[in-house]
Amino acid sequence: MSNISTIGSTSVENNNMVADKIIEQAFAAPLSIEVNNVTVSFKTPTGAYTAVKDISLTVKKGEIISLIGHSGCGKSTLMGTISGMVQPTAGEVFANGKKVSAPGPDRGIVFQNYSLLPWLTVYKNIYVAVDSALKDLSTEEKIALVETNLKMVNLWEHKDKLPGQLSGGMKQRVAIARAFSINPKILLLDEPFGALDALTKSAMHVELLKLWNLDHREKTIVMVTHDIEEAIFLSDRVVVMNNGPAATIREIVDVPLKRPRNKKEIVHDPMYMDIHDRLLNLLIAKFSIDDEH
Amino acid sequence: MKNSKKAIMSVVYFVAGMIILGGIWALISAVTKNEIPSPSATFTVFKEVMHKPFQNDPDYKGIGTKLLSSLGRVAIGFGLGSLFAIPLGLIMGSNKITMNMVNPIMQILRPVSPLAWFPLGLAIFHDSPKASIFMIFICSLWPTLINSAFGASHIPQDHKNVSKAFGFSTWKYFTKILLPFSLPHIITGLRLSVGIAWMVIVAGEMLSGGQGLGYFIWDEGFNGGSIAKILVAIIIIGVVGSLLDKCFTALQKKFSYAI
Repeated sequence: MSNISTIGSTSVENNNMVADKIIEQAFAAPLSIEVNNVTVSFKTPTGAYTAVKDISLTVKKGEIISLIGHSGCGKSTLMGTISGMVQPTAGEVFANGKKVSAPGPDRGIVFQNYSLLPWLTVYKNIYVAVDSALKDLSTEEKIALVETNLKMVNLWEHKDKLPGQLSGGMKQRVAIARAFSINPKILLLDEPFGALDALTKSAMHVELLKLWNLDHREKTIVMVTHDIEEAIFLSDRVVVMNNGPAATIREIVDVPLKRPRNKKEIVHDPMYMDIHDRLLNLLIAKFSIDDEH
Repeated sequence: MKNSKKAIMSVVYFVAGMIILGGIWALISAVTKNEIPSPSATFTVFKEVMHKPFQNDPDYKGIGTKLLSSLGRVAIGFGLGSLFAIPLGLIMGSNKITMNMVNPIMQILRPVSPLAWFPLGLAIFHDSPKASIFMIFICSLWPTLINSAFGASHIPQDHKNVSKAFGFSTWKYFTKILLPFSLPHIITGLRLSVGIAWMVIVAGEMLSGGQGLGYFIWDEGFNGGSIAKILVAIIIIGVVGSLLDKCFTALQKKFSYAI
């Protein structure tokens, strides 16, 4: 039961729903990520700080989910346990059927601030990643991978530039190409578009879905964000987190909007508006200065 | 257009500064009744000194030969010091245990006057040129050591995350992250070190005698009773020192990255 996402209700009806979900998940797409009762605590000078507490979550293969919540609610920490960058204090995480103990080439990570190496060209930034993550490939295969992925994000003509010569959107495309080029089964995006302006951000959303489509929607994507519109447009499910410390999952909101989704049309869809309202209510307590709280 | 104007103005300012300095110099010379030689008298001696600068006979060595022998000793001492200080600094910066072990030792040895090392070098090597090289070696360690360690210990978490996420080998981490990030800091350290080495060599040669610009100041300048020669040597030492600094500034520029 604790494996299941819906939290907080004990009614019979809900239990049935939960049971249905278990059956549905067991028979549908194979599990890609399994987070079991994960708690993460950090040592601080003033004592232990628990970032996330007893979280369980499952993600199916090819699913896109967003982790959303206020700053400091532990969403990045939770994702860190999936990537292997953060070790859980208690509980376990499985990715692609294997227990996560460290980062691996089956999980590609796109960091919040691009994290490109400023002394390497765009091309070399991707090449060193491919070279390290996929040691068994021949040099020709590695070169081909870098080329394909750079062309996919339309940056082939900028391959010899240093990251300092690129705009924010271009840097983020390099970071995405780098994550895609090791061909991971799971893609982990940590506030990937947070630093971009609204227009570039929209273009990047479409670009990301395009890449996901090109790959036959087989990659599982987990994204951390604090942007409600972004979460709905991209995701199949939105995981809303409570505020930390000791953050837990508040609710998981399904986004059954049909794909391919259209940025312009989707906002007029009543279902979109419902989901948007639901998320707003979960995340924001006070909507105007007249609200009493 | 703007740059060329800037370049012209910097030359103008330089010349103006030199004229003022020359004026003060001439004034001091006049006040001391030429005990301190005037700029023009010094220039005459300068031309004399610069006559056949690279002559290298057993009984007469030109000023250029002396300069080269000083530079040679600096190069050896500074080179050996850097070869030792850069790797040790990088290890200190990446490893807390090494840092905690070496840092207190460094804090004790660093404030020791360069001249204090000379007799020790002499006792070890029984050879005064080798003793000056030893002195330079010791003195050019510290800035490079400190700056290399600073560079290696300040690698941004972002870069470390990349290495972790894509499974960089230790060698790849060293060549693609640690070294390129630390390089500008290392060069800053080298720049400070070479400046110290150049200052120390003059003192070393005064003590060891026989060779180089330091000995020239002491022997031909002071003992020879020619204050003009002392002034000429000071100017040469200053110009060469600033050229050395310029070389490392150019290196620094070459290896700084826009982030």
